[in-house]
Amino acid sequence: METRSSVFANPKPCKHLADYKLRHGLSGYKFLQKWLKTFPNGKTSIKMCETKMPKCSFCSGIRQGRLFLCLICSSMSCSDHTLLHSQSENGHDIAVDIERSELYCCSCSDQVYDLDFDKVVVAKNIVDMPSKTRDSVVDDLMRRSSKRRRLNSVVDLDLIRSKFFVWMRGRRAKSCYPLGLRGLNNLGSTCFMNSILQALLHAPPFRNYFLSERHDRETCRKRSSDQSCLACDIGVIFSAVYSGDRTPYSPAQFLYSWWQHSANLASYEQQDAHEFFISVLDGIHEREGKEINPNKDNGDCQCIAHRVFSGMLRSDLTCTTCGFTSTTYDPCVDISLNMDTSSFSSVDVANKSVRPNEDTGRSTLLACLDLFTRPERLGSDQKLYCQNCQEKRDSLKQMSIKRLPLVLSLHIKRFEHSSLRRTSRKIDWHLQFPFSLDMTPYLSPSIVRNRFGNRIFGFESDEADISAEFEIFAVVTHSGMLDSGHYVTYLRLQNQWYKCDDAWITEVDERIVRASQCYMIFYVQRMLYYKANEDLSCTPMPSRRDPFVPIAGCC
Amino acid sequence: MSVPNEDNMSPHMQLSSHFFGDLLDSIIVDVASECHRVARLGLDRNLEEEEEELRLSAQARVTVADPSNSGDTTGKYVVDIFGQTHPCVANEVFDCMNCGRPIVAGRFAPHLEKCMGKGRKARAKATRSSTATQNRYSRGSPVSANSPHSNSTSTNRLLNGTYSHTVEEYSNGTCEGP
Repeated sequence: METRSSVFANPKPCKHLADYKLRHGLSGYKFLQKWLKTFPNGKTSIKMCETKMPKCSFCSGIRQGRLFLCLICSSMSCSDHTLLHSQSENGHDIAVDIERSELYCCSCSDQVYDLDFDKVVVAKNIVDMPSKTRDSVVDDLMRRSSKRRRLNSVVDLDLIRSKFFVWMRGRRAKSCYPLGLRGLNNLGSTCFMNSILQALLHAPPFRNYFLSERHDRETCRKRSSDQSCLACDIGVIFSAVYSGDRTPYSPAQFLYSWWQHSANLASYEQQDAHEFFISVLDGIHEREGKEINPNKDNGDCQCIAHRVFSGMLRSDLTCTTCGFTSTTYDPCVDISLNMDTSSFSSVDVANKSVRPNEDTGRSTLLACLDLFTRPERLGSDQKLYCQNCQEKRDSLKQMSIKRLPLVLSLHIKRFEHSSLRRTSRKIDWHLQFPFSLDMTPYLSPSIVRNRFGNRIFGFESDEADISAEFEIFAVVTHSGMLDSGHYVTYLRLQNQWYKCDDAWITEVDERIVRASQCYMIFYVQRMLYYKANEDLSCTPMPSRRDPFVPIAGCC
Repeated sequence: MSVPNEDNMSPHMQLSSHFFGDLLDSIIVDVASECHRVARLGLDRNLEEEEEELRLSAQARVTVADPSNSGDTTGKYVVDIFGQTHPCVANEVFDCMNCGRPIVAGRFAPHLEKCMGKGRKARAKATRSSTATQNRYSRGSPVSANSPHSNSTSTNRLLNGTYSHTVEEYSNGTCEGP
């Protein structure tokens, strides 16, 4: 469970490599550097002579599998004859695959790795890059971004948590159900709202903020008397749900306020939970944002919605001809993931869902994240203008995560369009999702490194101030058809799963949750999750909030 | 796909077959080399944990699918963990904050829709796309139509059920509801 302190494990060299380094140091690598050629797709090859084809010195085969260049005598051997070379020449064990620039030990007959060699390769990669790309890549690789501001935000929310915890400690703990578990009445097709509210009510940093009364309703009401404030209304719901009263609560005032905010979504029928989620965060941001951010600083908004949910996505567009990459960053409060439908043959019956082969292990959340960060070849009808080539070129697009939020909200796009039939249908497949999630492979540094062959850079491998490890705390599931169905939320509190089906709260086994059809999955940073569990001893809030009044019963 | 017999191939075919084989081998070695590097440098994700999660998930699905397990009660006649039962249509009554009339909770939304003057007529005017809620957080680079992170359209929605005004209670106590 420990976080890895360094990103790369520097592998132990075989004795031949160690020997070579002792005797020859970096001279062989440096000599090789001028023959290294970087291709736009990130591959590095060795080209010594422009006019002659490299041939194996033993068999003169031009392309017998891989060709290896001896680092000492520069003789070429094919994969069949490398052993022969190291046997005939003493000490000539280390060679390099000329097509891939990978070190190879002829005696061990295996690919080997050396930090110093990779450094040399990377240095050449950087030099070969189109100049504008170079700066941003170097920044990425060296992770020179300022992390300070982000750290403060986490510390801030942690302070709120401790205030809340101190206040809670005045209560007497009883062994019963956790605080904050309360059903929400369905007001008429409002399960989409109830399901998201339940998730928000139990997002640790969000919860701590509202329960510590950080959003001051008094001041807020004075400031804008008649305008509705979603944050105020959410604060009211928090107080109600954490009050200890277990009869189902009707979030009517909230519905009213929300409809005032989102006029285009205001109708009682048929809503999408994800749309609602975005709309609510937007509503909170609109009101809070203006007061908190006097200058329009979009990336680092300090409203509670952004502090908790906002992360940053990075999009790289690479010209396949010259390798020039343009990078853009966009903030996001959630990530919408497509399901990988390519591996299944679709039997399209109008409006019916498709059942895949049960044995396929492809429909997993990690597979969706892989798909999200996979380089996507843009079609030839979508050529983009390359600044370096000065014309339109075929491009690759790749997404990655620049900065993770405290609460990671993942949205599964369970619909599919058939352009032929002009219909949409819901993808009913089960999607496996883990309870513990490590987002490291999807972060920008990992993705960029991968693009350059995963070379060991040897720069200070710093730990992220925000860890990439997350724990699940809520799942919003959808059952039914595209245009009629039902939302239910599962909450994980103190390692027990609860089903929140409108007014009905029941305990369920984790297997029910694993087998459910997830639509939105909410993860929180691991540390915050464990701290939240500590807080959640069952101590009811009396209506008068007098810490010295003993509580008789709770549930 | 059967490999054509070498003897029957013309020299051209042999040559092109040879080249194809070389190209294919090269691609395979590319992948093998990358995977070898990832494995040696310890970059691959914690496979054991992943496999454990997959196993638990598969096991869960088997358990849930088994009809002998009482499993998930989907009917709304259950007793919740606090020992309470609830009617299908929430029967709490409160005053509408728009018009002041007392309304039953379970019918509040349709009432409010008419009360606020929104509803089908208004809906026809406003577009159902979520462009209004996009504003500051437009997603991703605006380039590709196939972008995995393209702006959501009105069709990216899973809807919850229509509300039926007459709640029909079935004999076994399940409710038809939203």
